[in-house]
Amino acid sequence: MSVVLTARELTRHYEVPTGLFKPHALVRALNGVSFQLEAGKTLAVVGESGCGKSTLARALTLIEQPTSGSLQIGGREVAGANKAERKAMRRDVQMVFQSPYASLNPRQKVGDQLAEPLLINTDLSREQRREKVQAMMHQVGLRPEHYQRYPHMFSGGQRQRIALARAMMLQPKVLVADEPTSALDVSIQAQVLNLFMDLQQQYRTAYVFISHNLAVVRHVADDVLVMYLGRPAEMGPKEDLYANPLHPYTQALLSATPTIKPDPAKPRIKIAGELPNPLNPPPGCAFHKRCPYATDRCATEVPAFRPVGTRQVACHYAERFVAA
Amino acid sequence: MNSQTPVTPADQSLLYPSPFKEFWHAFSRNKGAVAGLAFMLLVVFCALFAPWVAPHDPSEQFRDALLTPPSWLEGGRFTFLLGTDEVGRDLLSRLIHGARLSLLIGLSSVVMSLIPGILLGLLAGFFPRLMGPAITRVMDVMLALPSLLLAVAIVAILGPGLINTVIAIAVVSLPSYVRLTRAAVMGELHRDYVTAARLAGASLPRLMFVTVLPNCLAPLIVQATLSFSSAILDAAALGFLGLGVQPPTPEWGTMLASARDYIERAWWVVSLPGLTILLSVLAINLMGDGLRDALDPKLKNAI
Amino acid sequence: MALLDINNLSVRFGDKNAVPVVDGLSLTVERGEVLAIVGESGSGKSVTMMALMGLVDAPGIITADSMQFDGNDMLRLGRRQRRKVVGKDLAMVFQDPMTALNPSYTVGFQIEEVLRAHLGLTGKAARQRALELLRKVEIPAPESRLDAYPHQLSGGMSQRVAIAMAIAGEPKLLIADEPTTALDVTIQAQIMELLLSLQKEQNMTLILITHDLAVVAETARRVCVMYAGQAVELGQVPQLFDEPAHPYSEALLAAIPEHSQGAARLATLPGMVPGRYDRPHGCLLSPRCPYAQANCREQRPALDPKRQSLARCFYPLNQEVA
Repeated sequence: MSVVLTARELTRHYEVPTGLFKPHALVRALNGVSFQLEAGKTLAVVGESGCGKSTLARALTLIEQPTSGSLQIGGREVAGANKAERKAMRRDVQMVFQSPYASLNPRQKVGDQLAEPLLINTDLSREQRREKVQAMMHQVGLRPEHYQRYPHMFSGGQRQRIALARAMMLQPKVLVADEPTSALDVSIQAQVLNLFMDLQQQYRTAYVFISHNLAVVRHVADDVLVMYLGRPAEMGPKEDLYANPLHPYTQALLSATPTIKPDPAKPRIKIAGELPNPLNPPPGCAFHKRCPYATDRCATEVPAFRPVGTRQVACHYAERFVAA
Repeated sequence: MNSQTPVTPADQSLLYPSPFKEFWHAFSRNKGAVAGLAFMLLVVFCALFAPWVAPHDPSEQFRDALLTPPSWLEGGRFTFLLGTDEVGRDLLSRLIHGARLSLLIGLSSVVMSLIPGILLGLLAGFFPRLMGPAITRVMDVMLALPSLLLAVAIVAILGPGLINTVIAIAVVSLPSYVRLTRAAVMGELHRDYVTAARLAGASLPRLMFVTVLPNCLAPLIVQATLSFSSAILDAAALGFLGLGVQPPTPEWGTMLASARDYIERAWWVVSLPGLTILLSVLAINLMGDGLRDALDPKLKNAI
Repeated sequence: MALLDINNLSVRFGDKNAVPVVDGLSLTVERGEVLAIVGESGSGKSVTMMALMGLVDAPGIITADSMQFDGNDMLRLGRRQRRKVVGKDLAMVFQDPMTALNPSYTVGFQIEEVLRAHLGLTGKAARQRALELLRKVEIPAPESRLDAYPHQLSGGMSQRVAIAMAIAGEPKLLIADEPTTALDVTIQAQIMELLLSLQKEQNMTLILITHDLAVVAETARRVCVMYAGQAVELGQVPQLFDEPAHPYSEALLAAIPEHSQGAARLATLPGMVPGRYDRPHGCLLSPRCPYAQANCREQRPALDPKRQSLARCFYPLNQEVA
């Protein structure tokens, strides 16, 4: 198994102006995220709004430079790479976006949009490009006639297929998918998720699958990373994490997710309160104000992201929740 | 539930009308816009085939027929359908030839302000820190001056004449294009498809002209149509002030100016060029409104 | 008598021959009941409720045999009378809390306005009542929130305010249109819990419009599944989830990732919802249905009682008597 993507202590801070004569505020949108991703595997990133998953996506796709930390794509370090090298690395990480309505250029034919990555990055002739595009269109379930059509003629599900086809045109090593099915209906979501799985099997692409839907994540992921307010809360293999969540936030998320087979006997973990404001995060553990188990220590000391069994958890009392 | 039976999935994308058909469907629902389009087609036809359409030479003076009233009035002659002016030139022929000039002024001034306007707007939108503030400040200054006054000043510096009129009008209408393009670009830049094009490795010129610009065109087309009409108006105003096209060239504004002494004796010499300007401008504006409705993507996506 | 009785409601946009967005829908809702209407986008679930409240604008055309709400004939209600009913006895909570509140006015002002319009409360009394309402929807520090503008509130808070406005007139029927779709998971759970506790407390009827079957399973007692403008199945909650009678209900359930845990692929229904250009002649699901027979493509089935629910299908599933 080859590691295609390595992130170490990836951090991204933004300066936000707060007023004309006031100092800039610092938003720690992404704070020390580390992981490794192997070819053909899927890492799911889970969290609510403001948890830093979109910032992570932008950092991984080299749209934004991380403030600190290191990122390696295909074994090569991104920081310090020259322009040509960066361009080559950029080919290896592609992205599928949340809204299939905003991610396609409304004034460009579908075929031209799919051919664009080839036009820019390869020396293929017009005919060869067309051939490759048609092959990819067939693979994602589009018809050859769709080549000359404009995006607004397609339904959301079909557009997401087009967006996925465009991202896969250059056969990237890593595909970052930012909530790719959250705008779709249930039955269409199932079709698109199947397509994701088929393409991964064929090309052995590594996926970074960002989602807030734990049911979807459970279906697609190998490993899961739970984030809260820019920091990793818990990361580990899917089976372990779902069977025995160690971080109180993971427990709360799992408990809050509605299920089609509700079990009245299962105790509901109620968490009160709102998500904290990233401009003004609470001291200590970011979750302590909503956490039912919080102690004085949680309010002062930021918990380290440390290994517990097969997982890494950022909670002072993670051991307490380990199932016997 | 995996399909064992062959099904033909409904494919709405193949049933969609072509973009042009869709546009025409939306445009033709607006009756005023269609009427405007019809009138403008007539004007364009007259302008293109002026030497053949016009009954007389526009500068030929019929000394025996000074200030002849239009043919339907008492004393009117059938050869001069809309009458003649103070030196006996056929008014209809002059109006038809004047259409050529007015359209030329409108078209060339629109082109001359549209192209630099789009370029500046793209630069301001793509470099919001480097170029944006500088470009927008200059445009704000230009907008702070009354447009006609600015045009008069420019003509005063360059001297009167056809080309200088066009330049003056182009400069005056530049800021609106720059602001419009910049606003549209800044709206589009944050959309995911631009990010997707960046991820595909698109270069800056490609991003500007292939990815973003086509999506900003709808408001620009509308603005171009509307400023076409204001160019005709400005040209007429400059001509009226004696700063535009010089006599004896038939130009609607100049015709209006040179005939204003006869307004009491021969109303048609003044009213008919004025009416022509009014109708053309109205037609173009109606057309512009229709274009706006037809090209508005918000309305288009509504089912 | 039922609180709400809709009989053969159709909504079309355009002319009388246009493809209906809601197609012959009949629905009866009892007092104090929690009913969920489930369907994918374009299934007509929201338009139905808009039609009930008289909020379908031209070129929309509403036709129905009858539409009774709490003794009022909603089809023949005058503007003035309708305003008395809608907003008071019949209230609604929308999907996007950020756009459901007017950004130009404070939260307190907006709640007080509802109180003034429907209960005639003004001044101190209105403010007092507004405060009580904010307390009821469990907003922390309600005194300070009265003077807040909507943009100063988070999504969850805004939705709570929207709920406070909806229950201000103590409605008999509350319609919640995807009330949690725009919210984060942990906030979703809070809002659903609040809606249900208010429903119990005030014994009001709750119609929950949603696309999320899991939310239905956890909250509703009865569910109406809609497809392409038609109600295709009406049943009780645990039964419909265990033994769906209509193939579309079955497909919807099967498409949920939770349903096929461990499987490499999710079960899917091929194709998509028919649009205005390709509405099938027979059963609306027939082009996508794996069980479709010849007569499914020829005739439209009616919504008939089946073993455990009402279903619009010639060959309903799970009918064998155990």
